[in-house]
Amino acid sequence: MRSLRIIVLPVLLLAFDYSYAQLGNDMDDESKLYAQTKQVNQFFRRFNGEENEKGDRYYPDDRQYRNVKLRRKYLAMLFDGGNASFSNDLKGQFAKDVLDKDKPGVLDFHAAGWTAEVQTVFIVAGKDQPVTLFMSLEPDHLGYKWVISKVYSDIFSTYYKRDSTRIGQFLHPMSHELDFMNLRKAFMSVDSVAQFASKRFVPDYLTLFLYEVKKGNMKFKYVDDVKFHFFQIEGWYFELADFNRPGYNTGWLISNLVKVNTDKDKEALRKFIYHETP
Amino acid sequence: MFRSKYFLGLLFVGLVATTLSAQTADISPQRKQAIDSLALEKVRDLSKYISIIGNKKTPYSEATRVMDRAEELFIPGSEMGVSSVTSKEVNYYKIRKYFERLMALNYDRVNIKWYDIHYISDLERQPDGRYVGVVTIYQRFEGESDDGLKYKDTTKKDITIYVERKKTQIAGRTIEFWDVLLGDIRVTETSA
Repeated sequence: MRSLRIIVLPVLLLAFDYSYAQLGNDMDDESKLYAQTKQVNQFFRRFNGEENEKGDRYYPDDRQYRNVKLRRKYLAMLFDGGNASFSNDLKGQFAKDVLDKDKPGVLDFHAAGWTAEVQTVFIVAGKDQPVTLFMSLEPDHLGYKWVISKVYSDIFSTYYKRDSTRIGQFLHPMSHELDFMNLRKAFMSVDSVAQFASKRFVPDYLTLFLYEVKKGNMKFKYVDDVKFHFFQIEGWYFELADFNRPGYNTGWLISNLVKVNTDKDKEALRKFIYHETP
Repeated sequence: MFRSKYFLGLLFVGLVATTLSAQTADISPQRKQAIDSLALEKVRDLSKYISIIGNKKTPYSEATRVMDRAEELFIPGSEMGVSSVTSKEVNYYKIRKYFERLMALNYDRVNIKWYDIHYISDLERQPDGRYVGVVTIYQRFEGESDDGLKYKDTTKKDITIYVERKKTQIAGRTIEFWDVLLGDIRVTETSA
């Protein structure tokens, strides 16, 4: 798409024009900071065409609000330029859907269909352990709050690992006649206890996580990384990540883009993101 | 002087607030602009205080006084979360501790400057009714020791702002106004 080849230049030219550099010889740096998508909030506004080049907000009464030309210009600079997997064709299809005249795709901060993936580090048994928190926005009382909707960590997944291809250990089908006295043997080895759970059992790591934190077995250390998953644009999934690097293509940018043709594809992708085995 | 400056600002925001949609939960564009101005004023004061605290020529007593002033800009319990390009590990400091560490930095000359660039987010309402937003600013730090050791970095500071509607009595009249206080700050070293 021709429009997608229009890179950040117009925006940067305006940035140069506007910026008054307090640090005279760092003029170049300053224009880069203008180009940077500095907050997730700014990503929303640029994606939707809701702010001018200086970062001042447009409101629904403003003529430029969600203007297609403006959106096209911003959209071109919202992709990670270092990602070779973004073909012009793919980006072009995405832009076509997003900028559709009759049904434009806009992002809604308060709507469902986006989630934060927060990589954290907890101290467990004296060791640093990565724990992934999936966060979502939830309405509550007078406003909104971020809540933990799911948790994933390798330290939990090992609890439930079992080889379902082997016959392994089991409680025989007449155990009930003996008041399940063989449970004593089942619980003798903690390593094999998962074999006695139903094959339909799906572990809820959030419950386990809350329990372990409350028991004092997990201590928060720091947030290592944050990214976002968006399913708000019909027929598409994209990932948003923060790029802290030199140059003009920095800040919160689309780091992954996938065309999602069917609900089945969408569900498979969702399960992949949440580490849920299909 | 310090308090009266803000109070005038608050009154201005208060008047804008009263003239416009006083009873609604939404913040009108005009009111948002007034709140943004007040928030920026507080952020600029913070920037000024950080520069004074970090300046090696600032006497200890003056630095302590400025730290007290700077602390008044924040809601209690506010923290700084600091990381660098080389280490993603975030160190968390109480605001006062962060200022004290800044004052104690082992350089003979420290130069802190601020880029004339900022970004102000939308204001979102949180469950208790207060509004919250984030102001992003950029700082250039240069430190130099007598033995020739030099260090410089550019950091991005994402500063939480809390906006709350308050009431005060002036000459027997109740006046409503919007107050702005700073909260947690995330500090990241940029590679820009």
